[in-house]
Amino acid sequence: MFDVVDKTLELALAGGAEGAEVYAERSTSRRIRVYHQQVEELVAARRKGLGLRVFQHGAVGYAYTSDTSAEALDEVVARALAHAKVSDHDEFAVLPEKAAGYPALELFDADLAATDDGAKIELALAVERAALEADTRVKLVEDTSYADGDGEVFLVNSKGVRGSFRANDCYTFAYALAEQNGQIETGLSYAVGRNLAELDAQACGREAALRACALLGSRKVPSMKATVVLDPYSAASVIAVISAALTADAVQRGRSLFASLEGKQVAGERFSLTDNGLHPNGFSSAPFDGEGVPCQRTPLIAAGVLQGFLYDTYTAARGGRRSTGNGLRGSYTGGPAVRPTNLIVGGPATPVADLIGSIERGVLVTNLIGVHSGANPISGEFSVGINGILIESGRLTTPVREVTLAGDIITMLTNVVALGDDARWVPSGSILTPSLVVEGMSISGE
Amino acid sequence: MSSADIDKDLLAATLAFSLASGGDFAEVYVEDRTSLNLRLEDNKVEQVSGGHELGAGVRLTSGDRTYYAYTDDVGEAGLREAAKAVAAALRGAAAGGVQPLGGERRNPGAHPVRIAPESVAIEVKSDLLRAANEAARGHSSSIVQVTTGYSEGRQHVLIANSLGDLVRDERLRLRFVVQAIARREGVIQTGFETLGASAGFEILDEATVIDLALGAAGQAVTMLDSRPAPVGVMPVVMANGFGGTLFHEACGHGLEADAIAKGASIYTGKLGTVVAAPIVSAYDDGSVANGWGSQAFDDEGVPTQKTMVIKDGRLTSYLYDRLRARAAGAQPTGNGRRQSFRYVPIPRMTTTYIAPGDVSPDDVIAATKRGFYAKSLAGGQVEPASGNFVFGVAEGYLIENGRITAPLRGATLIGNGIDILTRIDMIANDFDIKSGVCGKDGQGVPVGTGQATLRIGEMTVGGTG
Repeated sequence: MFDVVDKTLELALAGGAEGAEVYAERSTSRRIRVYHQQVEELVAARRKGLGLRVFQHGAVGYAYTSDTSAEALDEVVARALAHAKVSDHDEFAVLPEKAAGYPALELFDADLAATDDGAKIELALAVERAALEADTRVKLVEDTSYADGDGEVFLVNSKGVRGSFRANDCYTFAYALAEQNGQIETGLSYAVGRNLAELDAQACGREAALRACALLGSRKVPSMKATVVLDPYSAASVIAVISAALTADAVQRGRSLFASLEGKQVAGERFSLTDNGLHPNGFSSAPFDGEGVPCQRTPLIAAGVLQGFLYDTYTAARGGRRSTGNGLRGSYTGGPAVRPTNLIVGGPATPVADLIGSIERGVLVTNLIGVHSGANPISGEFSVGINGILIESGRLTTPVREVTLAGDIITMLTNVVALGDDARWVPSGSILTPSLVVEGMSISGE
Repeated sequence: MSSADIDKDLLAATLAFSLASGGDFAEVYVEDRTSLNLRLEDNKVEQVSGGHELGAGVRLTSGDRTYYAYTDDVGEAGLREAAKAVAAALRGAAAGGVQPLGGERRNPGAHPVRIAPESVAIEVKSDLLRAANEAARGHSSSIVQVTTGYSEGRQHVLIANSLGDLVRDERLRLRFVVQAIARREGVIQTGFETLGASAGFEILDEATVIDLALGAAGQAVTMLDSRPAPVGVMPVVMANGFGGTLFHEACGHGLEADAIAKGASIYTGKLGTVVAAPIVSAYDDGSVANGWGSQAFDDEGVPTQKTMVIKDGRLTSYLYDRLRARAAGAQPTGNGRRQSFRYVPIPRMTTTYIAPGDVSPDDVIAATKRGFYAKSLAGGQVEPASGNFVFGVAEGYLIENGRITAPLRGATLIGNGIDILTRIDMIANDFDIKSGVCGKDGQGVPVGTGQATLRIGEMTVGGTG
C-alpha cells in the first residue's frame, strides 16, 4: 500500500502543504459467535483506508478516505487543506523527525494467519461447552465469541519517516448466565493470545460460569467502611480511568487529577504502573506509534510515586519533553492522540488466598458497573455500582448486589496496600493487572 | 465512486450469489458516508477533520445462523468476494430463493432539511465554536477550560434483500456539544450540554449555541458549591430530557428482542403483564420528525414507526429487527440498526420515552418532603439479564420541604428495572427529548431519550457523604 501512501504525500505537498503525513491501514478479521453449540454469527471482514494530516501556516488539517482511487486521493488532499485553513495556528503542531531505527518485535504469527474457520468454530464451541458443564446452575451462555484480526500499517511523513508493520492476535470471550431461585447473575471472561494454541477454551468458559455462579444468592448489605479486593477485571476498569488522567494532553488542558503531582506519592508504595508499548504479549505493542515515533517502556507510577506522563509529539513540544511514543490512532479516520499502549501493574505479589484470609471484614469486588459515567478522571471522584462477595473473618461468605463504592481516586490508590499473585491480561484497554487490596473504602448499601 | 453508481442488476446478482449454497435470507447493505468534525479547546479551533467512507456488507441467514462479510470495494469484484465468503459458510445445501427486486422505495420528506450543511462555509461553523467558547468562559471566572464540538454526517444507504425489497435512504445528522470545566480552590467540576437532530444547519445559530454554552458553564459552576450526596433510600425526582436515560437503561435495553429471544432479559415472557406503575405508558419512536435518533427506514430497510411498549403499566411490545421478528412470528418494528456497513444489524432503540402526565414539574417537587433531584445524568449501564442498572448523576440537588436546595455531587442511582418502573408515582407535563449515543455489542448508534419530570417513590442513592 506504500504506492498509494507515497502518492498521497506527493499530492499533498504539491497542493501546497508545508508538511504532511499519511497513515494507512489494511486488515482482515473474523468474528465467530456460537450459541447452543451452533454457529450463530460469522463475520468476515476486509478493511482499508488512509488518513492525511497536513500542516500549513502552523495549522493542521485532517481528512480520510476508505476509497483509494485516484479521484478519491485528490479529494482527500483538497479536504485536508481546506480543514487546515480553518484551524488556528499552533506553534506546537509539528511532525516528528525521522527516528534512528525501530525496535524489532514479533507481532505476526504465521500459524494464526493459516488457521481455517473450522478450528476457530471448534474453539468457540469448546468455550461454550466448558461454561455449560462447569455448574448445573448455568442457564445459558448468552454470548460466546472468538475473534481475530490481522492488520498492516503504513506510515510516511514529509520529514522522512517511513515505516510499516503487520500484527495479528486473537481472543475468546464468554458471557454466562446462572440462575437460582429465580435470580439471574452474569459472569464474563476473556482469553487472549497470538494464536489458537495460546487460548485455553476450558479455562475461559469455566471462568465465566464460575464468576456468574459465585454471585447467586446476592443481596444488599449494610453500608460500611471496609477493605476491598478488586479482582483483575475490576482493577483493570479502575486503571483505565486513571490512565486517561496520565496523558500529557489531559494535564496540559486542565483535565487531569494528577496535574500537579509529578514526583509525589499518589499510590501505595507497593503499587507500580508502567506503559509498555514493547511488551511481547501486549495487544497494543508496535514498533512505532501512530505518527512514527518508536514505542518504548514508560514508568508512570513507581513504588507509589508519580514518575511522569505519556506524550505524543504535540504534547511533548508543548511541554518541552520528548514524545514517549504514545501518539496512537484508533483508526485511519482520526489523527494521533495521546493514549496508553499496554498498561502493566506491578509490585510485590502475595497469594490471593492469603490476602483474603487476612481480611476481617471486606468485599471481593468482581464487577464494577457504570464506570464510564460514575468515575470522573478530571475531578477524581467516583461512585460506581459493584457486584462481589462479602469477606468475613478471612472467608468469602455472602454475594453482594445493588451497592455502590465511592470515594476519590487518589485516596483509593494511596490505600492500595497489597497486590495479588493473579496478574492477567484484560483486553479492553490492554491492561495486565493482579488483584488489588484497598483499605478504608466506603460501601453504600442498605 | 458512490452508492449511486451501483445498479439493480449487480445487487440482484450479489443476492443470488450469496444464496447459491443455501440460506433463507440474503441482503446487501451499501453505505456511503461523509463527515465533518470541528473541535475547539484551549481557545483554539484545532481538530478539523472529515472524510468519506464507502463500503458494503453482505448478510446471509439460515434459520438462527447469520453470516456476514463486509468490504470497502463496492465494485463487482468486491461484492462478489463478499457474497462468496458468506455462501462458503453454508456449503452443500440447495440454493435459497430470491424474489426479483421491486421498485426502489425512499421517503425523502420524512426528516426535512432546509439548509444543507455542505452549503455553509466551514468558517461559519468554526465561528459557532468560538461563540460558544466565549460565552462559556464569560459566564464565570471559575471556568478554566471549554471544549466545543460541531459534527455533521451525511449517510446514503442502499439496501436490497432476497424478499425483493429495494430501499434507498439518506440520513443527515448534526450535533453540537459543549463541555465546561470549572475550578475553585482545588475543587473541579464539569458541565455538559448537547443538541443533536436529523436536520440541516437551520437548527444552529449563535443564540442557540450560546444557550448550550451557558447551560454547560452554569452546571459546572453550580456544582463547585456542591456537597457530597447523602447515602440511602429516598424519593428521587428525575428532570425532563436527560432523565429519559432512566427508561432507556432500566427498561429499553431489556425490550430489545435479541435479549428476549435468549431469555436473557427480565422482560422475557412478560408481554401483557404489569411491569410499571399504571400511570406509565412508553414508546419507542424512530419516526419522530427530525429526531436525532430518527431515520425514515431502519438499517434493514424497514420503515421506522412509533411502537407502544408499555400501556398503562402493562408490557405491550418488544423491539424487533427482521431476524428476531421472524423467529418470534412478530412483525419487525423498524429497530434493526447498525453503526455502519462494518456491523451486523441488531435490535436497537431509536427515540425512547415515557409519555408525559398532566401535573406541573413544580407540583412534583412541592409534593416531595425530602428527596434527591437528578437534573442531569452522566450516563448509565444496565445488565438486561438481571435488570440491575446504575446511573451517574452529573447535576443533582437535595429536595427539602418541597423545595430544591443544596447541589450534591458524586451521586449514583442504583436499582432494578421493573422495581423502579413500578415505583413511579408522579409524571409532569414538561416533556423533552435529548440526544445521545448508545453503545451495545461494540456498536454506537444515535438515540433520543425523553421524558417529563417524574418521581420515583423510593430509590437507592449512593454517594460519598
